[in-house]
Amino acid sequence: MQPNGDLEMLMVRYQQGDFTAATDLIHWLSPQLHRFFVIQSASRTDADDLLQETWLRIHEVRHTYRPGEPVLPWFYAIARHIRVDHYRKALRTAGREGRLERMPEAAAAGSPGPGPMPDLATLLAPLPESQREVIEMLKVAGMSLEEVARATSSSVGSVKQKAHRAYERLRERLSAMGLNPGARGGIS
Amino acid sequence: MKEKEIDEILRQAGRAPHPVDPALLDRVSQSIEPSVQPVRSLPRGRVLAGGMVLLCAAVALAGAARSGFFGFEKLGVLDRVLIFAPIAIFAWLAARGWVSAMIPGSRPGLSPQLLLGAGSLALLAVFALIFHDYRTDHFVAQGVVCLVVGLLHAVPAGIGVWFVLRRGFAVDPVAAGLAAGTLAGLAGVSMLELHCANFQAPHIMVWHTAVIPISAAAGALLAWVFRRRAQGQ
Repeated sequence: MQPNGDLEMLMVRYQQGDFTAATDLIHWLSPQLHRFFVIQSASRTDADDLLQETWLRIHEVRHTYRPGEPVLPWFYAIARHIRVDHYRKALRTAGREGRLERMPEAAAAGSPGPGPMPDLATLLAPLPESQREVIEMLKVAGMSLEEVARATSSSVGSVKQKAHRAYERLRERLSAMGLNPGARGGIS
Repeated sequence: MKEKEIDEILRQAGRAPHPVDPALLDRVSQSIEPSVQPVRSLPRGRVLAGGMVLLCAAVALAGAARSGFFGFEKLGVLDRVLIFAPIAIFAWLAARGWVSAMIPGSRPGLSPQLLLGAGSLALLAVFALIFHDYRTDHFVAQGVVCLVVGLLHAVPAGIGVWFVLRRGFAVDPVAAGLAAGTLAGLAGVSMLELHCANFQAPHIMVWHTAVIPISAAAGALLAWVFRRRAQGQ
């Protein structure tokens, strides 16, 4: 993960028309944005499409980033918008509802007993979407509460509440799975 | 299981590499390369919000100047302060909300729904405090005229605030439309308070205040229609 200062500098250079800075940003940020989509949509193909669409949108609206402001909330706010838009379109055009409803069931069915640790997407799958994205931004992207609030257009209090509820659920799930943080090898 | 242990499990899972197809990244880079040119970033939020409040004030003043400042002249000094101070405060908050909604990753302010509710209720309370003539002469006939005049002034204000932030990008277009509509509605109410000399409480509380929610609803509806059209493309 790049320090935020570096990302902000790259973003400013990108706004100034530096293609190398744009390419660096794409290579540094794409894995974490892709993971954000995988955690939310549970399909790599969808995540590939969403990532591509996100970068095109970022390129179109890059002038809306204001130097000096935190850069990660700006990227995540756009990524989140693309994801929500994608779901709305999908729900309207296809019989996607059934598939979406089945997703948590599939994740629950995959809940293992004691054994190797599941990956992050499986671990967070039982959480509601709003809690999943908050945990992903806080714990994986390393954003602060204030930054998550900016990215999700909500208050810091609301982010705290979602994180707290998510932790309660995760505690139950992880305890049931008999996991402990020392079991590093199983995490993929 | 302690919170720190959950933190550690999530951190470990988050540290796991998540490779993305390099061909995909190359495709993305290539697709933007021809159009990577310098862009001018948007001004600071306070500058934009201040500009929009001034614009709304200009619309209200221009409308009243054309039709007459009859209401303003009839009001006492304290009444003027009691009416225009909350309008100015809510216009500032609505402008900040509109700026936040149009710039991704901005610090969130009051939600547009809360702003609309609080703004309308605050004005109702102020009107109830100031006006004590409870007659309802020509309630509908005069009321509809005021409502239409207020909305007619909200339209140019709405177009103006959209123009100021036309380069923005709404992550939640409906919320953005609601904030812009509320701001435009406040411009319409300001014009009515400057112009209308009908001080019957029911008239002001119903027809003047109604400009704000109607204008906000129109803003949200327009944004919703544009979003649907954009998604359909």
